[in-house]
Amino acid sequence: MHREIRDHIEDVLRGPQPTSRETLKYAREHLAQCDECRTEVQGMQEQTALIRELRAPEDFAADLRPGFYARVMERIEAEGPISIWNLFIESAFGRRIAVASLALALLIGVYLVTSERSAEDSVIALEAQQVNTEQTMVAGEDAPAREITRVDESPTDQSSEDAVLANLVTYREQ
Amino acid sequence: MDHKTSEEAALVRRVQARDEMAFREVVERYQSKVFSIIFGILRNRNDAEDIAQQVFAKVYFSIKNFDFRSSLLTWIYKITVNECYDYLRKKRVRKLVYESDFSQEDAQRMEASEPAVDASVPVDTRLAQRDLILKLLSKVSEEERSLILLKEVEGHSVEELAGMTGLNENTIKVKLFRTRQKLLRAAGRLTRTR
Repeated sequence: MHREIRDHIEDVLRGPQPTSRETLKYAREHLAQCDECRTEVQGMQEQTALIRELRAPEDFAADLRPGFYARVMERIEAEGPISIWNLFIESAFGRRIAVASLALALLIGVYLVTSERSAEDSVIALEAQQVNTEQTMVAGEDAPAREITRVDESPTDQSSEDAVLANLVTYREQ
Repeated sequence: MDHKTSEEAALVRRVQARDEMAFREVVERYQSKVFSIIFGILRNRNDAEDIAQQVFAKVYFSIKNFDFRSSLLTWIYKITVNECYDYLRKKRVRKLVYESDFSQEDAQRMEASEPAVDASVPVDTRLAQRDLILKLLSKVSEEERSLILLKEVEGHSVEELAGMTGLNENTIKVKLFRTRQKLLRAAGRLTRTR
């Protein structure tokens, strides 16, 4: 739609009014030349007429039953204050959000449980590996230790033998 | 227009403080308006009171969120239109507005009380047109729907709407234009799918 009409569409749809005659004159001139704007304005006019049919009859309010306020208060007492949970339970959108949240929570739960298990498994595997490594190291360290012990032991034995011989010699000399 | 300092604002503040007399005043002041809005949209007398009760219950519970940016009537109007659309959704829009759902009295009333409507158009055609426009209005946002209904059904001018909503006139014009374009596009889509 062209600006000449778009800027004054409310005046055009409202129809001839004293304040909008000049505006309408320019708009009519444009509409006479522009098929696109004419078609669109025609569609808007038809829809506006239909929307105006949603107007209630003038005498409708007169039929109001007495005691309306009391019935409103009864309903308020019956409903009680709106809880945040009502928003989830009562509206379709809320229910969808609740279902999506539950699904997400479930997924996160499954992920955490499985990742925890695999972490535990890897920790167990790591510990087993460490134990093996330590055993290997212990086994590897034992041999030289024993050798060292033997090496250590042999001078001790030697010195005690020497001591015994020295004592014997001393004894014989006496 | 300043909605924070008016007599209406003082009334709202009393309702926010849970003053029951003030709430009663709000109900009595707007009950006829709410009734006529509901009946205008639904043309169903039997359910109009039920929905009106629901509207005022919502007003009671939600008034603490009223921020004085618009008039109380504009706010209540929006709640009322939303309740009508909730009702339509629950009752499966299409069935509700056809003739079978109307009482004889309602049909006669509709015939007699709408001088602006072309009497040569058969009732079933008019009901189908009503069905169509309600469906099209469900395709725009709550704000757009309230604005166009306030303009065309309640007959408020752009200047009055600016005062009621706290928006400036140009914003109102742009919003109304966009709404009208959306309605046209929705009508085009609906025609193509039929």
